[in-house]
Amino acid sequence: MTTQAWAAVVVFTVAYVLIATERVPRVAAALGGAAAMVLIGATDGEHAFFDTETGVDWNVVFLLLGMMIIVGVLRQTGLFEYLAVWCAKRARGRPFAVMTMLVLLTAVASAALDNVTTVLLVAPVTLLVCERLGVAPIPFLLAEAMASNIGGTATLIGDPPNIIIASRADLSFTDFLVNLAPVVVALMAVFVALTWFLFGRSMRYDAERARRVMALEEREAISDPRLLRRSLVVLGAVLVGFTLHSTFHLEPSVVALLGAGAAVLVSRLSADSYLDDVEWETLVFFMGLFVMVGALVNLGVVERLASAATEAVGDRYLLASTGLLFGSAVISGIVDNIPYVATVAPLVGDLVSASDGSAQARSLWWALALGADLGGNATAVGASANVVITGIAARNGHPISFWQFTKYGSIVAAVTVTLSWPYLWLRYFVLGG
Amino acid sequence: MRAADLVERVPLVTAGTDAVTAARVLAEHRLTGLVVADDDGVPVAVLGGPDVLRLVVPEYVLTNPALAHVYDEEGSEEVVARLRERTLDDLLRSRPHAARPLPSVAPDDTLIEIASLMCEEQATIVIVRERHGGAFLGVVTLSRLAAALLTTLGEGTDAVQARLDVDVLPHDAAGPVAGDPDAGTADAAP
Repeated sequence: MTTQAWAAVVVFTVAYVLIATERVPRVAAALGGAAAMVLIGATDGEHAFFDTETGVDWNVVFLLLGMMIIVGVLRQTGLFEYLAVWCAKRARGRPFAVMTMLVLLTAVASAALDNVTTVLLVAPVTLLVCERLGVAPIPFLLAEAMASNIGGTATLIGDPPNIIIASRADLSFTDFLVNLAPVVVALMAVFVALTWFLFGRSMRYDAERARRVMALEEREAISDPRLLRRSLVVLGAVLVGFTLHSTFHLEPSVVALLGAGAAVLVSRLSADSYLDDVEWETLVFFMGLFVMVGALVNLGVVERLASAATEAVGDRYLLASTGLLFGSAVISGIVDNIPYVATVAPLVGDLVSASDGSAQARSLWWALALGADLGGNATAVGASANVVITGIAARNGHPISFWQFTKYGSIVAAVTVTLSWPYLWLRYFVLGG
Repeated sequence: MRAADLVERVPLVTAGTDAVTAARVLAEHRLTGLVVADDDGVPVAVLGGPDVLRLVVPEYVLTNPALAHVYDEEGSEEVVARLRERTLDDLLRSRPHAARPLPSVAPDDTLIEIASLMCEEQATIVIVRERHGGAFLGVVTLSRLAAALLTTLGEGTDAVQARLDVDVLPHDAAGPVAGDPDAGTADAAP
């Protein structure tokens, strides 16, 4: 490798360590790393802005932006508050039943929107319901964070790593549904059973407390029914658009942006109200990250690693899938799964491109998605949803320590990732996809 | 008219003041904010009325205002009962920005200077102190500033004049704020 390539590796490593250790804000680390890449000549404006292989993947950035705007409009309707209180009341105020309903709501909403936004909306209602029930909210919040990561695994838009994988691998919304949703449904069933052993066994029903939950007035949460109806129509159209995007040759990002435009038009809200929900920090972080990883691609570092990996793997895709599944799970538990997937995706892309295009080779993408998404449950910093939940809990006087999260998260991650392996093996290596 | 003509005394509270006492000060004196002082009676923060209300509204409702609507009357009263468990310190620690930098005017500042500061800081109470961090003289409240503006316009009435003549606290008022555990803190500006 050239001196410049080694310099790029050093810049990347330093930035990655800073992101992982949170010694500096992650946006500063990513942008600083991107700037350093430009300064050492590892990339330039042409490569950074106009080439998705070696620069910013605008499909990812604009898909996220579009979904954030749609959710920004949707959250003004009070729908999530309505649904969460409705769930608690359908569970008749029985603590474990309430937890199960909220966990299922979180998982489904995470798949249909995205998991970070979902926990942002469900966690506050959970705190209210728990206060009414007189139970500790931490088990509920932990279960929701984990359910959001599992549920979000099912779709292209459910978890940020999936968006990156879809763009790099040119996979459609339907590809994700067909390949990941079945195993996610099974994993959710296992997860609900797990929550009984982890949290539910010690919960006690209190009739007086349950009455207080039943007294909540969920309909009052919906302040503008007309806006709700219009937003739901837009969301439905967007989800249909995602399902059919490959038929109409529209990128998912374009579908999301069209949906965002429609949501803004029909809602007639002021720009402030829906732009408030756009996480500009996350979008800028993605851009910096893409420029850094793109510089490594540009200098041939990723290609070199990929050819070494291709040589090592040969046609032993089961071994590679297994390694990728469990390796991704472990790494995603330690560092945020977004930078991890952004880094590994080009490498996996080269590996799959060099293959015969069989279902076994393509299973590498699903192994990466399952490992990174489900492995993110292992610790409080493994996934963005976990960081959001622990932040909300702390602000409301219920701090969740890193080890408290890890104690439960590592069990859930280990069980779900381990159960994903027989699925990969059976579906792609025994049944042949 | 200048700030020195409008300066008046209001009850001071401390970080240790409990929320019930804070609410009582607001209610009894019809104030729209509180002046928080240190143990020596020197103002350290001005809290707007809505900032003080954060003591009663749960953080998760502040995050999702739609949740405020789902409480029934009994639930709402239970939430209000939280006031008994809180102090101003909870507010100052959990939301440092709620305690704005002290909005201060000098005794010779004009009405427009006072009005401009209130607009800029979104404050309904500003501190009056001698220039260069000098002695604390008292405060100017929004209602007294409005009375001064009306008088300047020649639109004063008896009620408006009364607002200029009578301070929030009687001039001879003394002693600690009722219920304040810190009996050493004076309740009024010097």
